Amino acid sequence: MPLMPGQRADRGALRRREARTGLLFVLPWLLSLLIFTACPVLAAFYLSFTEYNVVQPPRWVGLQNYRTMLTADPAFWISVKNTAAYTLLAVPLGLVGSLALALLLNLRVRGLGVYRTLVYLPALAPPVASTIIFICMFDSEGGLINAALRQVGLPALGWLNDPTWSKPALVLMSLWGLGAGALIFLAGLQEIPQALLEAATMDGAGPWLRFRHITLPLLTPVILFNLVIGVIGSFHVFTPALVSGGTTGKPLESTLMLMVHIYRHAFRYFAMGYASALAVVLFLAVLMATWAIFRSARAWLYEVGDDRRG
Amino acid sequence: MSIMPRGPARTVIDRRAFLRLIGLAGGTAVLAACGTSPPLEVGERVTVSFWTPGGGGEFCAQLDAIAKDFQQHSPGIHIGPTQCGTGEQEFTEVLLARIAADNAPDAAILWTSPAALAARGALQPLDQLIQTAQYALAENWPPAVLASCRFTGKNYGLPVTAGSCGLWYNREMFEHKGIPAGRDNFPKTWEELRRLSQEFTFWKGDRLEIAGFIPWHVAEELPIWSALNGAQLYDAANRRYTIDAERNVAMMAYAVDWLNQEYRGDFAQVLRSGNWEGYELAGRKPAFMDGRQAMVLAYSWNVGDTAHAQSTFRWDVARFPVGPSGHQTVAGYWPNWLVIPKGARHVAQAFTWLDYLSGVGVQAWFRHFPDLPANRLVPRDLLPAGLVAGKGEAFAQDIMTFFRDQLDIATPMWDSPVQDFATDQIRRALERIMHKVATPKNALAEAQKVCQGALEKVFKSGA
Repeated sequence: MPLMPGQRADRGALRRREARTGLLFVLPWLLSLLIFTACPVLAAFYLSFTEYNVVQPPRWVGLQNYRTMLTADPAFWISVKNTAAYTLLAVPLGLVGSLALALLLNLRVRGLGVYRTLVYLPALAPPVASTIIFICMFDSEGGLINAALRQVGLPALGWLNDPTWSKPALVLMSLWGLGAGALIFLAGLQEIPQALLEAATMDGAGPWLRFRHITLPLLTPVILFNLVIGVIGSFHVFTPALVSGGTTGKPLESTLMLMVHIYRHAFRYFAMGYASALAVVLFLAVLMATWAIFRSARAWLYEVGDDRRG
Repeated sequence: MSIMPRGPARTVIDRRAFLRLIGLAGGTAVLAACGTSPPLEVGERVTVSFWTPGGGGEFCAQLDAIAKDFQQHSPGIHIGPTQCGTGEQEFTEVLLARIAADNAPDAAILWTSPAALAARGALQPLDQLIQTAQYALAENWPPAVLASCRFTGKNYGLPVTAGSCGLWYNREMFEHKGIPAGRDNFPKTWEELRRLSQEFTFWKGDRLEIAGFIPWHVAEELPIWSALNGAQLYDAANRRYTIDAERNVAMMAYAVDWLNQEYRGDFAQVLRSGNWEGYELAGRKPAFMDGRQAMVLAYSWNVGDTAHAQSTFRWDVARFPVGPSGHQTVAGYWPNWLVIPKGARHVAQAFTWLDYLSGVGVQAWFRHFPDLPANRLVPRDLLPAGLVAGKGEAFAQDIMTFFRDQLDIATPMWDSPVQDFATDQIRRALERIMHKVATPKNALAEAQKVCQGALEKVFKSGA
């Protein structure tokens, strides 16, 4: 039934009132977002053009911090290289590992709830505590991992004392938190229509074909999500690198990650301006990586109704 | 106005007015909290806020107990409960932020060099207060230790404790080899130390089973070895780094030669074989405590550690031998500093507290946590109970006298306004030298260049 002009006006006022009320409810969150997130982000952009030690007022230095970073700070390039290497190793391994775990957790076996809890528990462990435990496990002399290698007749490795093995050791540490990604994959797996899988089975498709042509394509949105989150997380790797390699990225700067480099300039050398410039570069790098992933996803992301068949 | 009269005796506040009032009250509370405290009335009791970077609950409880004693001596000053660290946030970051917000604590313990914070305008100069002090007079501190608080001629802190170091050695390992184990018989030169070290070093396959002494490779200790070789890493008087001075290059070349000769030139293998430092590392007990290392550079605070105080073997401590270009022995130290941040409200009262802590409070501190008091007025017969119980009073007295004397021959350290930056650069250089990624000359020259650059930047910015 068409609305009369007066009714229309009433409804408009009601909407506005509802919008205001809604806004009032989200105001605390919006304010905290503006004050505690947006302002610091904008401040970091501004501070990246200044020399600033927290106590004295920032002094405008233009592009000096960026020039120093690109031309006079070899540690910056080392940290970029280390972070990139870590990301290239940790993200694919993390994706494959968490997907494998999710597939296991999706099986119908007894005590599944217990397994799911156990798989997720490590994600709740405090990062410093778990890193310290891993440092003990990676100990070249008395560590569990070398003991296991010796048991199977393999040579013991230097792990965190050896520049060749320190990054792989950090990557292995990162797998400790696979549970979080696995749970997201699990949710994706449970969204896959059983009818499709059953139909494929009736058509004679085995487990691999079902996985390759049904499960994997339907999981691509979840893969995209985990990939983006994984890349962002890897760019921000900090606690294990700092706890195991200190502020110099021992051994031989092999664990000096970009976040550690930012941290030491900000909170150890009190060079907030330069640290802000590093943070801006990290932000842009993450932005570009995320954009590149989304662009590439056009080629491999399978959406419902899409007529591609993997 | 939304306070609407509804009937003769009722006033109803609508929701908007209520929210406005809440906002107004909250704003007032926030402004009150941020505002400055009113000036003190004569005779009014002052509360001094006091921060420490951490140290654990027991340590902070001990500081609170000392504060209670202090309040009996100075009834007009109340020391607030010790702020024991800043939770998950970096202590210095929080302290600097509070200073910038003009809401600094009145006094603090620092684990970062006061020179570095003074250069950034974060600390109050204490010279005038020191002149009127009861315990903290300048002449009551070992000069090199007090130098760690100086920046551009002014004093910005008190080195309340300064753990001194020496060469700890396992007497039984010496005696087992028929080597005289008296302190006076200990090597006086690097060459003698190196020869002695070889007597103990023993490899079993690829594993370094027993080490004599591992040559210098720790950044924080390098100023000591440099001074032993007649050089220095930082020249505070002339505001310049001298990391790549000829004697320092020679010192590192000596270490590499030693490594090659006694440790197969493979520092990675040495590290893989054990923990050769004087403290627990990544869950690994020091090799010295396992009888796998004859000599190690370690600090005085180890005397409070049960493992040392009640060790089953006999140990002793000796002075450092002198390098080929050096002419006298020196020692090193690692302090806890007391400072008054810039913007502190109660400077005079805070200094009275820090003065007391330097001379009297530190004695109770030492009884529970054996950080060596640096002030000369602190009695020298103050002994750690654990060491007395484990090794006897005579031995404990001898050891503590040794460490107090070491402070008097200490070389200046921790006195650079870019201390942490320089320590990281020196650590990088040492690692590259010992792992043979760079020659001593190149690695030290690289460290010199960046440290001097950072130093000049600080001075140029008007420090």
